Amino acid sequence: MTAMLASSNPLTHVVQHVWGEPIKLADSGVFSTFTVMSNQIFMMVLAAFLLIVFVIRAGRRRRGNAGMDALVASGFGNFIETICVYLRDEVAKPALGEHTDRFIKYIWSVFFFIFTCNLLGLLPFDAVAYFVTGMPEHPVHLGGTATANIWTTGTLAFCTLLMMVFNGLRLGGTAYLAHFCPGPLLMAPLLVPVEIIGTIAKIFALTVRLFANMMAGHILLAVLIGFTMSAFAVGLTTGIGVTIPVVLGSVAINFLELFVAALQAFIFTFLTTLFIGMSVNVHHHDDHHEEGHHGEAAAHAH
Amino acid sequence: MMRMTKNWMMIGALMATATQAFASDSGEAPNPFAGDLGNAVWTLVIFLIVVVLLGKFLWGPILNGLQSRENFIATALRDADDASKKAQAQLAEYSQKLDQARAEATAIVEEGRRDAEVTKRAIHEEARNEADKMIERAKREIGIARDSAVRELCDLGAKLATDAASKIVGRELSQADHERLIRESIDEISAQNASRN
Repeated sequence: MTAMLASSNPLTHVVQHVWGEPIKLADSGVFSTFTVMSNQIFMMVLAAFLLIVFVIRAGRRRRGNAGMDALVASGFGNFIETICVYLRDEVAKPALGEHTDRFIKYIWSVFFFIFTCNLLGLLPFDAVAYFVTGMPEHPVHLGGTATANIWTTGTLAFCTLLMMVFNGLRLGGTAYLAHFCPGPLLMAPLLVPVEIIGTIAKIFALTVRLFANMMAGHILLAVLIGFTMSAFAVGLTTGIGVTIPVVLGSVAINFLELFVAALQAFIFTFLTTLFIGMSVNVHHHDDHHEEGHHGEAAAHAH
Repeated sequence: MMRMTKNWMMIGALMATATQAFASDSGEAPNPFAGDLGNAVWTLVIFLIVVVLLGKFLWGPILNGLQSRENFIATALRDADDASKKAQAQLAEYSQKLDQARAEATAIVEEGRRDAEVTKRAIHEEARNEADKMIERAKREIGIARDSAVRELCDLGAKLATDAASKIVGRELSQADHERLIRESIDEISAQNASRN
């Protein structure tokens, strides 16, 4: 029983499972290996495939080809367009102002990519495969949440950083650089590092928030299901007695996870928009700074 | 009862096998931060592909659609506002014209009434004048007729008197006597009439 409990570490079902052997780049260090494919990377590819093949087709659906009908979405296109309109009008416009339509395509992409990855992570591919094949072990671990990988969320946050800095310099120019030293020039040696650290901290928070939220929900589910295993080890009656509340609880947690999947995708998108807005609208930096803090406060509260 | 127990046992067996599958991963403690440069590169590549393809084939049309719709709605609202203002201006103009027409109509009716009054008065006046003239003419004609009748009566009276006197006197008066007597009689009757009137 102890052996079984030891092997039922809930993290096992949440972390990345590398398919095949990673390429070795160096003997040690963070960048010593290069994963060619894993369950989480595959889920990311699947998300991209679904977005490119199905969501493009669905999102382009219109009620007609000409006149007013060409302006009205139809079917699943309504779902996509509603989200797009909300993100553009309620999130992007207050933060980006005149630059909204310049960045909105990126912002929509961020949201839908993360949202799709989060949702796909909720699908129990591995368990379904087991019921279909009856094989406890498969050549590769199926399913997984791409956004429960800190390297993935870190890369997405890094893209936000690039958007901030690149567009800050492109559109804000010297004003963007000047906002790294908001006080008198004498204070620059103190303020500039603080601002740089602040910027990196924002990106780090963005990385960890998405990663931790997606990881935590799945660990919770894994722990809950792990109870059944321990209970069945004690006896059949205990197992059944524990399984019923666990199944009900898991269903409830799954509903919560559906909400969290949307919420975290939204928060990542919202903060990305705010950060880009703070970079490109440096002349009224203070207003957005306030909003940024509100946004972060809301995100931390979660 | 037996059947229920059998069902429960089947569910139990199913859950037991499921948990076996769940417990099948074993080995060293998993690292929650598992991942490497491969994940980062894959993420970057996949995400960029998604951004580019979605941007070109989905977000472009959607953004164009939203902008067209916004322009359409803005134009429609502006047109509606213009139409409303125009309608209000026209309403005011028509109201003014209506008031003007009503005033004109009242003036026309008033003028008609006045004209009718004048015409009525003129007709009355004319009728009265005509009537007066008729009365005057009738009086004159009556006077003439009366004079003529009186003259005839006098002539007849004179003739009768002459005839009677001739019979009484027995002799015929000459023509000159007749005329003298008649003239004297007429004058006498005229004098009597004049004194009677």
